[in-house]
Amino acid sequence: MTEATLINPLDTLVDQFPSGWVKKDERPGYSGFIVEREHLLEFARTMRDDFGFDYLSMVTASDYLAEGKFDVVYYAYKTIGGPALIFKVQVPREDAVVPSLVALYPGADFQEREVWDLMGIRFEGHPDLRRILMWEGFEGHPLRKDWKEPFYEEDVKPYKSRWPEGKPVNADDRNPFNDNVQYPTGFDPERWVPEAETLLYSGLQRTTHNEEFKTDELIVNMGPQHPSTHGVFRMVVSLQGEKIVDLKPVMGYLHRNHEKIAERNTFLQNMPFTDRLDYTTSMSNNFAYALAVEKLMGLQVPERADYIRVLMAELTRIMNHFFATGFLLNDLGVYFTASLYAIEERELILDIFEEISGSRMMCNYFRFGGVVRDVSDEVLKKIHNLVYDRIPRKLDQFDAYLTNNEILRTRCEGVGVLTADQAIALSTAGPILRASGVPYDVRRADPYSIYDRLEFDVITGNHGDIYDRYLVRVAEIKESIKIVKQLLRDIPSGPILAGKPAYQVRVPAGESYGRVEGPKGEMGFYIVSNGKPNPERYHVRAPTFINLTSLAPMSRGEKVADVVVILGAIDIVLGEVDR
Amino acid sequence: MLSNWLYIGIFMVVSLFLPAAAIFIAGLLAPKKPNAIKNATYECGMETVGDSWIQFKAQYYVFALVFLVFDIETVFLFPWAVAYNQMTLFGVLEAIVFILILLGALIYAWRKGALEWH
Amino acid sequence: MDAGMIWEWIIKSIFLILFMTGGFAYVTLLERRVLARMQVRIGPNRVGKFGLLQPIADAVKLIFKEELIPAGADKLMFIVAPVITVIPALIITGVIPWGTSINLFGREIALSIANVNVGVLYIMAVTSISVYGITLAGWSSNNKYAMFGGLRSTAQMISYELALGLSLVGPILLAGSMNVMDIVQAQKTLPFALLQPAGFIVYFMATLAEINRAPFDMPEAEQELTAGYHTEYSSMKFALFFMAEYIKMIAVAMIGSTMFLGGFQGPFVDQLPWLGPVYLFGKVIVWLFVDIWIRATLPRIRYDKLMALGWKVMYPIALLNVFITGILVVLTTKR
Repeated sequence: MTEATLINPLDTLVDQFPSGWVKKDERPGYSGFIVEREHLLEFARTMRDDFGFDYLSMVTASDYLAEGKFDVVYYAYKTIGGPALIFKVQVPREDAVVPSLVALYPGADFQEREVWDLMGIRFEGHPDLRRILMWEGFEGHPLRKDWKEPFYEEDVKPYKSRWPEGKPVNADDRNPFNDNVQYPTGFDPERWVPEAETLLYSGLQRTTHNEEFKTDELIVNMGPQHPSTHGVFRMVVSLQGEKIVDLKPVMGYLHRNHEKIAERNTFLQNMPFTDRLDYTTSMSNNFAYALAVEKLMGLQVPERADYIRVLMAELTRIMNHFFATGFLLNDLGVYFTASLYAIEERELILDIFEEISGSRMMCNYFRFGGVVRDVSDEVLKKIHNLVYDRIPRKLDQFDAYLTNNEILRTRCEGVGVLTADQAIALSTAGPILRASGVPYDVRRADPYSIYDRLEFDVITGNHGDIYDRYLVRVAEIKESIKIVKQLLRDIPSGPILAGKPAYQVRVPAGESYGRVEGPKGEMGFYIVSNGKPNPERYHVRAPTFINLTSLAPMSRGEKVADVVVILGAIDIVLGEVDR
Repeated sequence: MLSNWLYIGIFMVVSLFLPAAAIFIAGLLAPKKPNAIKNATYECGMETVGDSWIQFKAQYYVFALVFLVFDIETVFLFPWAVAYNQMTLFGVLEAIVFILILLGALIYAWRKGALEWH
Repeated sequence: MDAGMIWEWIIKSIFLILFMTGGFAYVTLLERRVLARMQVRIGPNRVGKFGLLQPIADAVKLIFKEELIPAGADKLMFIVAPVITVIPALIITGVIPWGTSINLFGREIALSIANVNVGVLYIMAVTSISVYGITLAGWSSNNKYAMFGGLRSTAQMISYELALGLSLVGPILLAGSMNVMDIVQAQKTLPFALLQPAGFIVYFMATLAEINRAPFDMPEAEQELTAGYHTEYSSMKFALFFMAEYIKMIAVAMIGSTMFLGGFQGPFVDQLPWLGPVYLFGKVIVWLFVDIWIRATLPRIRYDKLMALGWKVMYPIALLNVFITGILVVLTTKR
């Protein structure tokens, strides 16, 4: 890597590839580069090895039906910080094949499977290109613009009135169930045998037998109905004794095609919809979505609103980390005591959310250009009390009872280790990445809102094991307290919303990606607008979904009891994983 | 003395009634509507793959072997402890040597790696 | 020995069994209430005053639940396993003296089922039987989680059993008898817990493993094995496992109190023999409370770590404890 490429690589990038297969994306409102698919691997390798874009954050695709092509969009970053490298591959709809980047960026694994599943773009060279959110045998690719769901009404909301002239009309009568139901050819629902399972089971690694006794391997399903998978999540585990040989996560049980629904919604209708992703951190989800849309609209957020936003995002982080550590302890087998104590403070934070937004969990508090309601001085006083008194006291309790607990340490130290290189390659984000010793925090790497004025440290661990993830979370609560204290000190008065509140916002055509450092990792929204009231493309970079890529590498060779803890330390929320 | 064992025998027979009665009463009162899905083996909602009765790799089998040896040796300590007060000093010393041998064996097994999890 | 004697013992047996069953029911309530208090909750308080009728409601509910036997299970073993588990749990208590004897209806009634000369050996033998029940339950269910649970229980047994046995050698050495009554009488002045602190602690930890209580509840580790060996059990058969676990919990608390805390000994027991059961009861309650407290506090240990703990820490300590006790007894009592 030369110094020149380090300083300002992107402006001269096209010159680096003189043969002309890298072009700037010059559509209005778009940015980044368009790479010919034959050269994608070469380009990505150059970017990773020579330019230092070692972290492939997001892979997605959007369907341009009118132009008859798909854009496969990649967002790559440097883990030392800085803006994104956006590159795209355009493929015709009838020949939707793109080379897979899994060999270069293992973290692309699940995301490419998702694109294949929902968009129907094949990734050549992907080691395990099965559907991921839909079931094997599902007909069609639901995110394609020409795919219609069984109860399809119209392309976009608002739908036609359901009570025209005061008479209610049953939506089912307008759209009988059979209209859009698609079955694969030759499919008979009565005689269907799930074959996908055999595909899944046969994909598991086996041990080679070179031991004294010949023993058999056992394939066990942990989940979907399992007490400690944090929802309907399934891990297919092959075991040699109690040791894990291989593990395959299976998800999608909670899949509702969030993105398709969101593309039918208007821009503002999606704001409460983002709450439903990771229902424990709705404020952060709002934040990322608001940023993405504001970038497109070119809105400047008033200062007070920015302060309130960051305040809420940090309270969400505190709340989430309490939740995560508490339930990590549950996964370790403490009978609920630790988790119930941990969520005591969470309740108080939820009280504050309720007071300002009217809802404890589904806050729907952010608007494009600000927030919806002002925060009263009383609430600020309550927050003041929380961060100066209650939460520090709770953290002291954590330190006293948990941090040096013998059993906790023997169970967590050296378990589920992810080295820094692995963590980057697998595109993990948030506390997992930082516990592996990578000081990558979007708040610092690519500051948004007012984070560049705030003083806080990026916490990193040294060993990348579960214990470090625990320590990182606890320390991040401390940093968040620090931030909240600064915010309370400096919060200005003034308007909380740029412009007038509006139900319908005008979003100019173009693409944008808004990302925040959510409690669970980088939470991002990729939005494409075509100037109409509804987003053309709406994609969520769900941190826990991508973090799950690291579950199998972390679990191999560990014991059964550890898998649950490893999963708990990833801190997943199925609402977000399955979308 | 023997009568004491008789009492324990009585106790055992009487205590057999508790589980028997419990299962019997439940058998009378509990509803019985079995079906194939209800009686399927539970595996978190998925159909089980493969057999559960397999050649399981019990990583602790070396422990089990060591355990057998030590357990039998430990039992010897019980009569010794009872007769302790009637023993001569020689008997005491002998037992102490026995304990030392046990300790030595434990250390040997430890050093040999028998107490590690494979 | 006459028929009257036999009847006396039958009645005593029934009384003890009912007592243990009732004890089981109310220990579950105690556990739920105490856990709730420790977890800033309230716990069951709706059925009866302080939730006192809750156990009865639970029992009624369990009786009316459908009994399922999985299609792939070994039926006979599946039914026998809970019985094998519950009976040893009950009959351990047979050798525990509740007091010397009391006068009732003109008869001198000994406050124990039996006073056998190898009581401690009996306890050791019987306690290890119930692991068969658990292993069989796990195996016969033909369920993977259950099988893991069953196998783990064996693994667990071989890791703490030695230490458990050795920890009881100390009291035997001090009392010079394996008769439980003699051991209690020997603690008239000083409970053995003070003379045998290492043995006492080893006993306490080993019994936690013995009764599959947290932090050693590997065979039923909810987090990974859903419910472990009793995953497939329902209705009364499940209740029997549950019962076995709690009765055993009471039983080891009774044994522990007897061997290390002076059993029914306490002030004025000689004058008022009925105080004996009261003292024992009090000690058992405290013991159970500590068990519950530990469950509310500690994470589960992983089972290879438990094996390491059992073999590399507890067993050597127990062995050294016997060794040192032996030498000290020689120095203090031998001519």
